[in-house]
Amino acid sequence: MRNKRMFLFEAARGFAAILLALAVAVIFIALCTDDVGGALEQMLLRPLFAKNGTFNANSLWVVLSRMIPTIFTGLAVCVMFSANQFNLAAEGGVMLGGFLATLVGIYVPMAAGLHLVVCLLVGAVAAALTMLLPALLKVKLGASEMVSSLMLNYIIMYVVLHFLNNNFADRSKGSTQTFPFLQTAAVPDLVPNTDLTWGFVIALVFVALVAVFLFRTRWGYAIRMIGINQAFSKYSGMKVGSVIVLSQVIGGFLAGLGGGIEVLGRYSTFLWRELPGYGWTGVTIAILAKNNPLMVPFAAFFMAYLERGCELMRTNAGVPAEMLDIIQAVIFLFFAAEQFLARYRQKLVVKGAREEMKQAFDSEAAAKGGNA
Amino acid sequence: MPQSEYVVQMKGITKVYPNGIAANQGVDFNVRRGEIHALMGENGAGKSTLMKMLFGLEQPTEGEIIVNGETVNLSSPTVAIAKGIGMVHQHFMLVPSLTVAENMVLGMAPKKKGLFIDMDKAIAITEEYAKKYNLHVDPKAKVVDIPVGMKQKVEILKALVRGAKILILDEPTAVLTTQETAELFRELVQLKEQGFTIIFISHKLNEIKQITDRLTIMRGGKSMGVYNTAEISMEEISRLMVGRDVILTVEKDKAAPTDEVLRVENLEYTNDWNKKMLDRVSFSVRKGEILGVAGVEGNGQRELVDMLFNLNVPDSGTVTVNGKSIVGLPQRKIRDAGVSLIPEDRMLYGIADRGTIEDNLISNRIYQKEYNKGLLFDMKAIHEMSDRLIEDYRVLCKSRNQQVKMLSGGNIQKVVVAREFSSGPVLIIADQPTRGIDVGATEFIRKKLVELSRAGAAVLLVSADLNEVMELSDSLIVMNGGHIAAYFEDTSALTDEEMGEYMLGLKRQSDEEIGKVLYAK
Repeated sequence: MRNKRMFLFEAARGFAAILLALAVAVIFIALCTDDVGGALEQMLLRPLFAKNGTFNANSLWVVLSRMIPTIFTGLAVCVMFSANQFNLAAEGGVMLGGFLATLVGIYVPMAAGLHLVVCLLVGAVAAALTMLLPALLKVKLGASEMVSSLMLNYIIMYVVLHFLNNNFADRSKGSTQTFPFLQTAAVPDLVPNTDLTWGFVIALVFVALVAVFLFRTRWGYAIRMIGINQAFSKYSGMKVGSVIVLSQVIGGFLAGLGGGIEVLGRYSTFLWRELPGYGWTGVTIAILAKNNPLMVPFAAFFMAYLERGCELMRTNAGVPAEMLDIIQAVIFLFFAAEQFLARYRQKLVVKGAREEMKQAFDSEAAAKGGNA
Repeated sequence: MPQSEYVVQMKGITKVYPNGIAANQGVDFNVRRGEIHALMGENGAGKSTLMKMLFGLEQPTEGEIIVNGETVNLSSPTVAIAKGIGMVHQHFMLVPSLTVAENMVLGMAPKKKGLFIDMDKAIAITEEYAKKYNLHVDPKAKVVDIPVGMKQKVEILKALVRGAKILILDEPTAVLTTQETAELFRELVQLKEQGFTIIFISHKLNEIKQITDRLTIMRGGKSMGVYNTAEISMEEISRLMVGRDVILTVEKDKAAPTDEVLRVENLEYTNDWNKKMLDRVSFSVRKGEILGVAGVEGNGQRELVDMLFNLNVPDSGTVTVNGKSIVGLPQRKIRDAGVSLIPEDRMLYGIADRGTIEDNLISNRIYQKEYNKGLLFDMKAIHEMSDRLIEDYRVLCKSRNQQVKMLSGGNIQKVVVAREFSSGPVLIIADQPTRGIDVGATEFIRKKLVELSRAGAAVLLVSADLNEVMELSDSLIVMNGGHIAAYFEDTSALTDEEMGEYMLGLKRQSDEEIGKVLYAK
């Protein structure tokens, strides 16, 4: 009963955080435009509803398609954060995975079906192996994985750009990009003629896989326990160093997979010329989801919806794109602030404890009554 | 005038922590001016919580605190100190790298030219207070180098320098030797004679009888009443504390030790500060017996246990379990060899605090076939195991999914013990297995230890609790300064005094006598 009440409270708290964040956002929006109401309508309703109030399916497909890469990066960060490893290289992992998957898609022709799988696996495995760098530096030399993974992102980016510019660029195009990959390597559409591909389904399958891995296997268990208490895990007989490496390698794999699916699903060539940003969003999502893979799709939906809303607000209401970052930051702040509404939470806890005490007393009294 | 009779009045205090634990429920607590007042109760009874509120570290959910007849809002220790309340914590709040004098004046240092700390003056202040209250400390010594007893004096002086008239001492004797305790008591009586009021938190009955005027007993977050110490018997106090008469003697049959299980030979270890912590330590433990390791803390016991579980590496020496060396093996291999460890520091090694009870019960057996079905955990087997252990070891909890940090100290230790005892160990190393936990859990754990040893396990019991180590052990070694100072094959005729002399290094047996603990193969 107390748990249910706490759950309701947490839900209400999340809602209040969003409302407050929006209130702050309104202030900023008012600075950019006169028509605040119109802007808010664009941001809050337009991602799902057309102007006349009817449901807009096409727009929903856009929102859902945006979730594909961030579900993967969100999961990647979940796994790494669960082991208390603040590895931020999901960003680089996405880029590397996308690039290598594309190259295999262009230069290594294979049968349909098999081709896509090989492309994705090459990208994912490469990203996984890259994560050995920060992981081994941490385990063997005690270097902070946060710093080395952050730097690793830029190393990956410039290495990818180097090969893109000098070896794989299609010179016939105005902007730097590779040749188009073969159709056998493309991720097929889930809803025809939209960006929503089967990648979305694969992402949801991985949500389930990662959840099972973390909560139902000995390796996932070791990752979680090491995240809580390393000394305890070592004393219990777990191989702490290996598990720390494992968590980051898995993180890299998921990020690389997400990158491959995104490029092979959304585009026809590899055309990223900078880090795509999905890794950073993944960190936000993992924190919103409290490292629970099952909550990742919800957090990813929230972020994608917000992004789409701000985009519409920019196009149709003239609010600058930077507003998105501000609003995101504000919401994030309220969500992450542990003390937000803490006083009210305390009241609930006190109430719960009282009831429990009373119950215990009553049952004790009842038991006594029975004996007498 | 009732106002002047009581220096502290706490009325109807209720405290609910954010995790939902109601640590105090409508507690009344009064202290007379110039008395030594004991606050007694088992662990988790709510003593520390009550005192934290009096010192401003926690705020009551409900209730009123009156100091010197004035209702106060103790929102922080700074406010409490200003009201003349000082607290000496169980774990000292000193900066180890600073000198005694620097610690004394921390945050209120005398200034030279408005910028620099006037060290001479700090030393002078320290010496002045030390002399005035007859608490001898060395102002120039670094805190890291001074013995525990002196650290405590520094803490008391720190409170006095800040103008405390009411001193709260949280289990002050827990870390002291017998001699240091006696000294502390003399000093406390002197302070009382000078008009200070002392609140003394403890659960050691004999100490309370010795030194206090009145006592308040707490149980389960409630006050069980106030008594004049002279008019209440130890048995009555014990009954009020735990709600039943506690028999702290564990019945056990005579040991019939058979094969040697653990054999330690010539273990040597010098720590990072170049202090020799283990010096030619040799002993063995046989199947079916409990070998106790007694000694004042810090005489090599912790290092010894660390070596036995590869949490630290010896400079030289051998450790074998059933004839196989375990030095340098990963913990999983050591566990596979049948060794279990109840660690001294249960919050650091014993549990993953944010994990569930179940998480904490399976940690040493996650690789076993029994609990896995191919790649996945066999959740049914794990749930069954958890529920069985919770029942067998009487862990008081809502369910196996409750976070382990929500449990009381005694129940947390039961989780650790359940895990370590149920893995079928041939050797159990129990390091301070009942420290700081309530009487009920203590009794339970001690009985289990005896039970397991009689069923054929070899038990190495390391304990600073003299009563425990003498009560439970079949034979006993005493450690002093990294040596084994004495070996007693039979503990039944031993007296406390005799033990004390060996523990404090006043006496030492001959190598030949000590050598007997290495049973010939």
